[in-house]
Amino acid sequence: MTIAKRRKKSLSEYSTGELVMYRFRKNKLAMFGVVLLCIVAVAVMLAPVLSSYEAVSQMHVSDRFTAPNKLYIFGTDEFGRDLFARVLYGGRISLLCSFAIIGIAFVVGAVIGGAAGYFGGKVDSVLMRFVDMLMAVPSTLLAMAIITALGNGVWKLVVALAISQIARFARIVRSAVLTLRNVEYIEAAKCYGCSSLRIILKHILPNGIGPIIVSATLCLGQTILSISSMGYLGLGVASPTPEWGTIISENKMNIQAYPYLGLIPGICICLTVMAVNFIGDGLRDAFDPRTKN
Amino acid sequence: MATPLVETRNLKKYFKTGKGMLHAVEDVNLKIYPGKTLGVVGESGCGKSTLGRTILRLHQATSGEVLYNGENILQYKKKDMKKIHLNMQMVFQDPYSSLDPRMSVHNLIAEPVQVCGILKNKAEINEHVRDIMEMCGLPADHANLYPHELDGGLRQRVGLARAMAVSPKFIVCDEPVSALDVSIQAQILNLLMDLQEQRGLSYMFVTHDLCVVKHISDEIMVMYMGQTVEYAKTEELFAHPLHPYTRALLQAVPTIDLSQRNRERITLKGEVTSPIDPAPGCRFAPRCPYATERCRQDVPLKEVAPGHLVACCACSE
Amino acid sequence: MEKDNLLEISDLTVQYNTDDAVVHAVNHFNLNLVRGEARGLVGETGAGKTTLALSILRLLPERVGEVVGGSIRYNGEELLTLPEAEMLPLRGKKISMIFQDPMTSLNPTHTVGDQILEVLDLHFPEMTKAEKAARVDEMMTLVGIPPERKGSFPHEFSGGMKQRIVIAMALVAEPELLLADEPTTALDVTIQAQILELMRQLKEKFNTSVMLITHDLGVVAQFCDSVSVVYAGRVVESGPVEAVFERKANHPYTAGLFNCIPDLNDNQPRLRPIPGHMADPRVVHEGCCFADRCEFATDRCRKEPPVMHTCGDHGILCHLYENKEEF
Repeated sequence: MTIAKRRKKSLSEYSTGELVMYRFRKNKLAMFGVVLLCIVAVAVMLAPVLSSYEAVSQMHVSDRFTAPNKLYIFGTDEFGRDLFARVLYGGRISLLCSFAIIGIAFVVGAVIGGAAGYFGGKVDSVLMRFVDMLMAVPSTLLAMAIITALGNGVWKLVVALAISQIARFARIVRSAVLTLRNVEYIEAAKCYGCSSLRIILKHILPNGIGPIIVSATLCLGQTILSISSMGYLGLGVASPTPEWGTIISENKMNIQAYPYLGLIPGICICLTVMAVNFIGDGLRDAFDPRTKN
Repeated sequence: MATPLVETRNLKKYFKTGKGMLHAVEDVNLKIYPGKTLGVVGESGCGKSTLGRTILRLHQATSGEVLYNGENILQYKKKDMKKIHLNMQMVFQDPYSSLDPRMSVHNLIAEPVQVCGILKNKAEINEHVRDIMEMCGLPADHANLYPHELDGGLRQRVGLARAMAVSPKFIVCDEPVSALDVSIQAQILNLLMDLQEQRGLSYMFVTHDLCVVKHISDEIMVMYMGQTVEYAKTEELFAHPLHPYTRALLQAVPTIDLSQRNRERITLKGEVTSPIDPAPGCRFAPRCPYATERCRQDVPLKEVAPGHLVACCACSE
Repeated sequence: MEKDNLLEISDLTVQYNTDDAVVHAVNHFNLNLVRGEARGLVGETGAGKTTLALSILRLLPERVGEVVGGSIRYNGEELLTLPEAEMLPLRGKKISMIFQDPMTSLNPTHTVGDQILEVLDLHFPEMTKAEKAARVDEMMTLVGIPPERKGSFPHEFSGGMKQRIVIAMALVAEPELLLADEPTTALDVTIQAQILELMRQLKEKFNTSVMLITHDLGVVAQFCDSVSVVYAGRVVESGPVEAVFERKANHPYTAGLFNCIPDLNDNQPRLRPIPGHMADPRVVHEGCCFADRCEFATDRCRKEPPVMHTCGDHGILCHLYENKEEF
C-alpha cells in the first residue's frame, strides 16, 4: 500500500490541515506559483525601499519615452515618469484591491449560495431571485452604477466590484451544495446529529471547494482588468494614481511606438494571474485526497 | 411479550411533487424487538428506503408515530434528538457515496463520537476507534486510508463501523449488500449477524433481495407502493406466502437450483408506477392476475394466522 | 464431435496501460461459443468480463487498452486483425451489445422509434422507408411496447421499458451474436424476470447466440445453456450449466461462490464467504491466481500455473482435478 510508505507518523499526529499542506507542497507547479506571487508581493511591499513615492508622479520632461536602462529600469512614459516606481506602487493597488474584491465576493456569495442550496425551498427562492437581479445587470454597468452612487475612491471601487461578482459565486456555491446536499454521507452525518453549520463547513464545503477555488482564481485576473477599465472610465482609481491596468490604459496611445509601456505592466498582470491560477489548481488538488501523491 | 424496541403506528410519509401528492409510506405499522431483525422487502419505489429514513427522522413524517422504547420520538425537540442519534443509526446502500471522500477512515469513525460528545479526550477517541475497527474487521493500518483506496467490502465495513461508533441499539440497514459482489456480500452479512449476536442489536434490513432477507431476518414485511401487503415470521412467509405479490416475487428470484429451471412461473405484467394521489383500493390490483371488483375497495391488513398479516381480499378469507 | 463454433476465443490477453501500472485485465482467455447457445460469463467486479466483451467488438479504450496476444475468431474469421472498415458492419449487424445501464445507453434527445430506426438506417440502406417503419413497429411489438409509443422519448419510460427498447435496438438487425453485459442488474426482480423471459423468446425466434455477462449465478442457472466462470481474467471453470450447477465437481472459486449465496431453499445459519479480496490485476501470478484465497492451495499451486482438466465439456482449471478421469 502506498499510504503505509507515505506516512510515517500515526494518524492522530496529523491534522487534516497538515495533510492538505503536505499535498500542496508536493505540487511543484503550485509551489512555483507561490514563489512567483511572493516575489511580486515582496517587490510591491518594498516599493518605498526600491523606489520612492515621489518618483511615481515626478516628471522628467527631458527623459520622455526613455527605453529601460540603468537609471530607469522599466523606462519612462510620455511625461517622463519612472515606470518602475509606477508599476511597484500600482501593484499595491492592483493586488490589494483584487484580493479584497474576490475575498468579499467569495464570502458573501458563499453564504448566500450555501444557504440557498442547503436549505432550499423559500430561502432558496428569495435568495436566488436577489442573485438573479444582480445577474440581470451587466457586472461592469452594475459596478459603474454603484460607484456613481457611492462616489469615487478606491474602497468604494472595491465594494462596487465585489457586489458585481457576488452573483457569480453565489451560483457556483449553490450548485456545488445542491449536488452534495442529498449525498448519502450527508444523511449519515445527520444520523449522528451533525448540525447544519458543521455539515456545511465540514462535509459540503471541502467537497465542493474545487470548482469554487478555480473560478475564484480565474476571476482574479479578470478583476485586475476590471479595476483598470473602471479607472479608464474615470471611476475608482483614476490617473495619475498608478495601477497596473491604469498604466496600460494611460499609455495606450504610445504602446505601438514604445511597446515596453504596455508589455511591462501587462507581464506583471499575467505573472500574478498565472501564479494565482497555479496556486488555485494546487489548492483544489490538495483538498482532494484522491489526488495521486 | 416484551415491548418492542422500535414500533411505528400508522406512519405516513407523503411528498409533494409537481404531479400531486406522492404517498411514499402509507399507514405502516411495524414492531421490532430487541435483538431481532425485521426485513423490509420490495421493489424500487415501494417506499422501503423512505420508511427507514422516516423512522430515523431524516424525513419528517406526515403523520403517525414512531416509538422507541415506548416513547414517541417524532415529538422530540432538538435537545432530545441526541437520544435518537445515540441509539438509532443507519448503514447505507452505496459504499461509494456514503463515505465522505475527504475524510480518512479514522476520521470517519471518530466523527460521530466527537459530534455526539461521548468521548472528549483524544487518546480515548483513538482507543475507541481502534476497538470499533477491530470489531468490524478493519485492519488497524487502514486507519489512515481514504475511502477511494478501499474496495467495496472494506468501505461497507467502514460505513458499518461509523454507525457502530456510538454503540446504537438499532440500525436501519438500507440495502447494505446490494452494491457488493457475492463473496463480499457474504462477509458483510456474517459481520452483521456476528455484531447482532455480540451486542444484541436490532436491525431493520431494507432490501430487494429475497435470498438475503430470508437469511438474515426474523420477521419480514413485504411492501408494495408504500403499503404493507404481507407481514409474517420468516419461516411462515416462505412456507406459506399468501399475497399474490409475495408469491410473484418469490417466483421471480433466479435461484441456482436447476430443478426450477423450466418450471411454469407467473411473470407479473406491467411495472410499478408511483403512488401519486392513488385511488382507493389495492394498489397491486392492476398487475394482479387474481384482481376482481372487490379489490377496488380498501383492503386492510388481516391476521390470517398467528402473526401472519396479509392485505388481500382474496387470500385473507 | 465437430461443433459449429460461432465465436472462438483462444489465449486472449488484454491489458490496460495506465500511468501507474499495467493492469492485466484478461489473461489467456479461452472460450468457444456454439451457434445458438446462451453462454453465461460469471465473475465478480474486476474479473475482466466487460473488457472481454469490448475486445470482441474492438471497442477497448484507445491507447490505454491493448490486446497483447491471442485470437478472437468469429465465423472462422480473425477479428483482431480485421481493418476497422470491415469491423464497422459487424458491429450492430452481426454482433450487438446490450449495456448494463438502460438509463444511459439511450440518447435522451431522440425518440425511441428513431433510435431503433437508426440501426436499420446504418445497416440496411437498401430497405425502403416504409419497410423500415414496419420493422420498427414489429420490433417494438415483439419487446412488448405498443408501437404507438415510438414517438416517446426515453425519459418517458421506466427502467424496464427502456431496457426493452435497448433490446429492440440490439436485435432489430437480427444479429448472430448478442453480448449482454449485466442486462438486468439495474432492474427489479419482477422486471428482471420479464426481461429474461423476453430475451429467451427472442433468442429462440432469431436463433441468436447470446453471451450473458453477469455476476448472478441464479440468472445463469435460469437462462443459460453453458457457463464460464471468470476469475482474474481467466476462465477457471466452464461447461454445461447442468454439469457446473450439479455442484459435484467445481473449481474452488466456483464452489466458494455457491457457498456465498443465501439460497431460498436451505437454511444454513451462516454463509461461508471466500476469504480475502479479489486478486490485484496489476500483479502477475506465478502460480494459480486463486491460490491466495483457496483453502486447498498447496505450494505447487503458488508456483505452477494449473492447466484446464476436462471431463467431456466440463473443464476445471485446477491442480486438484489433474488425475481424475471423471467428475
